Amino acid sequence: MIAIRPRASIVPDVLLLLAACLLATGSLLIARAIAMEELHRSISPDLVRQALYLLVGLLALAVTSRIDYRLLRTFAPHVFVLGIVGLLLVFVLGSHEYGARRWIQLGGGVSVQPSEFAKIAVTFAGAAFAAGRDASGRGATMLLGLFGAMAAVIVLQPDLGTAIVFGLAWLAVAATWGVSWRYLGGLALLGLSMFPLALAVAIPDYQRERLAVFLDPARDPLGSGFTLRQVEVAFSAGGMTGRGFNGGPSALTGVAPRSSDFAFAQLGEFGGALITVTVIMLFAVIAWRGYRAAAGAPDAFGRLLAVGLTTMIVLQASMHIAVNMRLFPATGIPLPFVSSGGSALVAVFTAIGIIESIAAHRSSRTPTSRYASK
Amino acid sequence: MIATTEPSAVSGARLRILAVAVFVIAATLIVQVLRLQIFDPVVPASAHGGIPRIVPIEAPRGLITDRNGTVLARNTPTYRVALVPGDLPKDEQPRRDALLRIAQSLRIAYSELEQAATTGLAIVDPFAPVTLRKGLTNDDAIMLRAALAGVPGTRVDIAPTRLYESTGALAHILGYVGRLPSEEAEARVRDGYTLDSRIGLAGVETQYESALRGGPGRRLVLSDPQGRELQTLGEDPPTPGSSVVLSIDMRLQRAAEVALARGIDRGLTILRPSSQPRAKPLPAGAAVVLDVHTGEVLSMVSQPSFDANVFERGTDGAVSALFTDPARPMIDRAYMEVHAPGSIFKPLVALAALQEGIVTPSTRIWSGGSLTVRSQYDPNTVYVFGDWAVHGNVDMNRAIARSSDVYFYELAGGFWEGGKETFKGLGADRLATWARHAGFGRPTGIDLPGEAAGIVPDSDWKRRVIGDEWLLGDTYTFGIGQGYLTTSLLQMATLAAGIANRGEVPVPRIVRGFEQGGVFTPTPSRIGARIPVSPESLAVVRGGMASAAADIDGTATTGVPRGVKIGGKTGTAEFGVPYPDGVFDTHGWFISFAPVENPQIAVAVYLEYGVGQTHAGPVAKEILEAYFAQPPVQPSASQVAR
Repeated sequence: MIAIRPRASIVPDVLLLLAACLLATGSLLIARAIAMEELHRSISPDLVRQALYLLVGLLALAVTSRIDYRLLRTFAPHVFVLGIVGLLLVFVLGSHEYGARRWIQLGGGVSVQPSEFAKIAVTFAGAAFAAGRDASGRGATMLLGLFGAMAAVIVLQPDLGTAIVFGLAWLAVAATWGVSWRYLGGLALLGLSMFPLALAVAIPDYQRERLAVFLDPARDPLGSGFTLRQVEVAFSAGGMTGRGFNGGPSALTGVAPRSSDFAFAQLGEFGGALITVTVIMLFAVIAWRGYRAAAGAPDAFGRLLAVGLTTMIVLQASMHIAVNMRLFPATGIPLPFVSSGGSALVAVFTAIGIIESIAAHRSSRTPTSRYASK
Repeated sequence: MIATTEPSAVSGARLRILAVAVFVIAATLIVQVLRLQIFDPVVPASAHGGIPRIVPIEAPRGLITDRNGTVLARNTPTYRVALVPGDLPKDEQPRRDALLRIAQSLRIAYSELEQAATTGLAIVDPFAPVTLRKGLTNDDAIMLRAALAGVPGTRVDIAPTRLYESTGALAHILGYVGRLPSEEAEARVRDGYTLDSRIGLAGVETQYESALRGGPGRRLVLSDPQGRELQTLGEDPPTPGSSVVLSIDMRLQRAAEVALARGIDRGLTILRPSSQPRAKPLPAGAAVVLDVHTGEVLSMVSQPSFDANVFERGTDGAVSALFTDPARPMIDRAYMEVHAPGSIFKPLVALAALQEGIVTPSTRIWSGGSLTVRSQYDPNTVYVFGDWAVHGNVDMNRAIARSSDVYFYELAGGFWEGGKETFKGLGADRLATWARHAGFGRPTGIDLPGEAAGIVPDSDWKRRVIGDEWLLGDTYTFGIGQGYLTTSLLQMATLAAGIANRGEVPVPRIVRGFEQGGVFTPTPSRIGARIPVSPESLAVVRGGMASAAADIDGTATTGVPRGVKIGGKTGTAEFGVPYPDGVFDTHGWFISFAPVENPQIAVAVYLEYGVGQTHAGPVAKEILEAYFAQPPVQPSASQVAR
């Protein structure tokens, strides 16, 4: 049994260590990409950009972990509106890539993906909303509306994977808030009964096609069945120790559109089961530390915020891994810390910073952490 | 705020449940990843150490057919021997041995082989096969297979090669395919081509490369560390290329080819013996037939021509000979080259003058055989602009029918007496503007690569490019389509089509549409330029061209086919170095549209050596007769609907 009990410890540093391990894993993939690039005799500006994003991410971490998260609570409505506006801006200014509108180009090859920051915004707003109220059915429905509004805009991008993560994060926050099992169970049943309808109406053709390929890989309208095959071969070729990160042919060559959606499969091929199992365990430990920070939070806001953010990170990772291993229908979703992607990196570091701030203000109110603000 | 105890207790329990859920998810993922990687891998354990890699599958290239479905470019299998650099032994000595044995079997220099094995692209993709010998017969292939048995790094396989029909008449249009040009090879490889891919390098083959190529497929194979394929693990089949349907009618194309060859021969009779050494004449010519409404190119021939099959089946020497031949057989004379058009430009001058109010259809101008202009600087200096004959008092209809030079000198440059312009002409800049209205000075937009634009000169152009002031004499020669003006034959064909098509100049197109899986998708027809003229002005000019073809003393009568009335215009443009007696060699031109009342097609002919009336006209006549003997099929309703 996992003990979730407030205890004076160096929680923030453990979280940081975990993040560093995952980052290192991701940089192996980047290093391999560069090894391949060198063969093409061109220098990749991606590396410079990724380093820049990392720097911004660390800055965000330093700032958010030092601010008392409770001070931020008053800004929750603003953050929520900002999140929605950012998502809507994508439809106006956004660039089409790989058949989806998710990015806003800032020039110089730098782009922002507002949906990454929307994850934090909605958790923030949700936690602030729930903290001052009783966990009634009405309250839970309103909370669902909050998450749903954000998720609906994201579905339109289209980015179904991220929207599902939103739904499950809501479930985690609502459960921790204390919403009755009857309500949650009822909603789950409703969701299940709506599924065929959603499949027929709301889910776009390409998603339905992906679902069909997931259920029957031999069916291959757009080569996606071939991609599934490539991923399977990549995992088996990786074996226990992997084929190494130093370039050479890969089963995943051309596994377009975005290789970051298959980061876990790449780790499997080049790093083997040693790395893949470690990565899964690292995320499990992040969940454990995150939930511990929640359990020790001095107030409901902190508790719900920590739960929401932790769940966002861990669920996204689980979905990425599950999609890569064909446990879930294909949907493009990056692996936190590991996949390249600037906004994702900055956002996840911001989230880690907030969780650290919550952990630093433990309910025992003994300022054991060096991050204590008072 | 500090939470009340009761919800806190609830959330503590709930958090524990969440943690358990995450634990279960993590456990499931770990079990699955171990299953995929260790316990139940799709690649059997015996194959471990095998290297999975992706091998591209080239899609069968689309056919090229004429408008009736006659296949003009097809794929036929030939055998080739290819080197797979990545499959060669890694160690120095065995590698040398293997290469030596390949060199002996194929009778290729060892150094050449070494080079093929170490090209830059071989390093990028060592498993992409590099062709060593191509175009082999089945017997050769069997022999070489035996000779190379057991030598790593070679492969004898079937390579589809392109076979072109009737290349003499079609080589310029169809173009040819070949290896990736080295300067764009890297960029192409990133686009999914392989080192060994073939790509369209000229004509329709390059213009419609992406449609013809289709979508390449991929195979996921398992190979041993030496690079030999052990097993196919998955396949993503290619999408075959679309068939490209040309607007060309092959029957008309052949007729035009024969007629043009005859015309070029006859035109050469203008060459005269000369006491002075002259450049060796290089006979050439071209002919174009356009649908005046749609711009479809029903026929387009150019001489000299070449055999495109040389590129895939011929020797390297034969290929390089094509590029060094002084006759430049690879240049399509119909649209890649520009010349002074001569008198076939006059119908446009006439349109401009009518529309600008310079003359009315009935304005008469006296042509006494020449136009004399006194120099504005020195009254004793007199310039004489000659006419090819004395035409007397001519109105516009007669001026076009007889091709009076003096009439068109004055339309362009006016008539000057004592330093005053007593009859006001268009002036060079206004005429240049009209030429641009009609689409001159820029490519017509035909769907073929390498089109020439030509030059529409004006005073500003001359100052910039020649560095000199524009003179009255320049305007006069501009008025009869000589001097600095240059146009391609195709541009002149579109002018004829525009005159026949209510002033709307169609964009010529060589491709009528695409066919994929029995479904025909037509390419759209477009209008490239609109000559801003009234129907009345057009009718006058068309009438002039009809008279040129119908009047007993008309200049274009030589181009009239049996049984059909046409509108025509001849052109004879001086070029090059004059003979000692001051006479020049001439290009022969002819433009026409037919039938005159309800035009369907425009025919234009260019002869490098010849006279418009005597030599170019009869070529047009033969082509028109071939057309009206059996007009090409028009797009059927069902094809358009689809």
